[in-house]
Amino acid sequence: MAYIGSKPADKPVVASDLDPTIITGQTALATAPADTDEFLISDAGTLKRIDYSYIKTASAVVDLFRLSANATGDQNPISSNWERADTDGAGVIGTGMTESSGVFSFPSTGIWRIEFIGYFYYNGDNRGIASEIITTTDGSSFDRASSSGVFIQQTSSNNTYSGGYCTFIMDVTSTSTHKVKFRAGATSVVVVGATGDNTTHAVFTRLGDT
Amino acid sequence: MDRDYLQDALHTFNGGNWYGWKKEDDNGNKIPNDQRMTYANIEVIKEGATIPSEADVNAKIQELKDAEQTAINKKASGKQKLLDLGLTEEEVTALIGA
Repeated sequence: MAYIGSKPADKPVVASDLDPTIITGQTALATAPADTDEFLISDAGTLKRIDYSYIKTASAVVDLFRLSANATGDQNPISSNWERADTDGAGVIGTGMTESSGVFSFPSTGIWRIEFIGYFYYNGDNRGIASEIITTTDGSSFDRASSSGVFIQQTSSNNTYSGGYCTFIMDVTSTSTHKVKFRAGATSVVVVGATGDNTTHAVFTRLGDT
Repeated sequence: MDRDYLQDALHTFNGGNWYGWKKEDDNGNKIPNDQRMTYANIEVIKEGATIPSEADVNAKIQELKDAEQTAINKKASGKQKLLDLGLTEEEVTALIGA
């Protein structure tokens, strides 16, 4: 049999036989690989192919919203004055949350950790002040998913402060139906908000794929 | 922890929960952290609410401060009266706290 050019050596192909143009000469994939796209891998010395789905990392998203002004009374839900933190070097990873009238929508499906911190003061006594995470999976029926309660017993005849924390891990399988809102406060209690630092606030972290 | 007299005063107008803070000035420039929560940067978020005059807000702030001072004074005078009745400092503290 005749060969055009050099006759291949009768030996295994080794690294030095390869030219970078084997890769650089190919058409570039200008988007993220599909889950079934394959890579070549050395599995303890044996060449194998592996799907992208096994090696990709979940897209990280971290976002923080805060109440930007005080609100008095039971805020069920906190429906106004939410803002994304933008001071003191605040940052966001990825496409963040969107908020409308206190209802938050997710930018992507996935497993999300939701944390809520309620910050309160009251010039008196109150035995039950709530911080709640309220979710929906159908876009309309909301239910309390996580809560904590604190009390304030007035100290030194003056405004006395307290704070509550609750968290929830949510499997967001649809960005159109899965949403979250927050409740905080109690009758006459001040739910503290500020636009220069975080007082009452919520943190959203995407942990992985759904 | 310092009391936020401005916000406490604002909540006494318009039935409460009526305001927010501007984050950008009229030219679109970001307002620095420490200047946002001021009378000049109040914005109305409740339908029908109006911004009270700065004089009215300042008067309300003073009213709140006066009430606070009055409460402190009453506590002090009440404590003194108890002492005058012959109670010891320890007994008064046990009754009304520090």
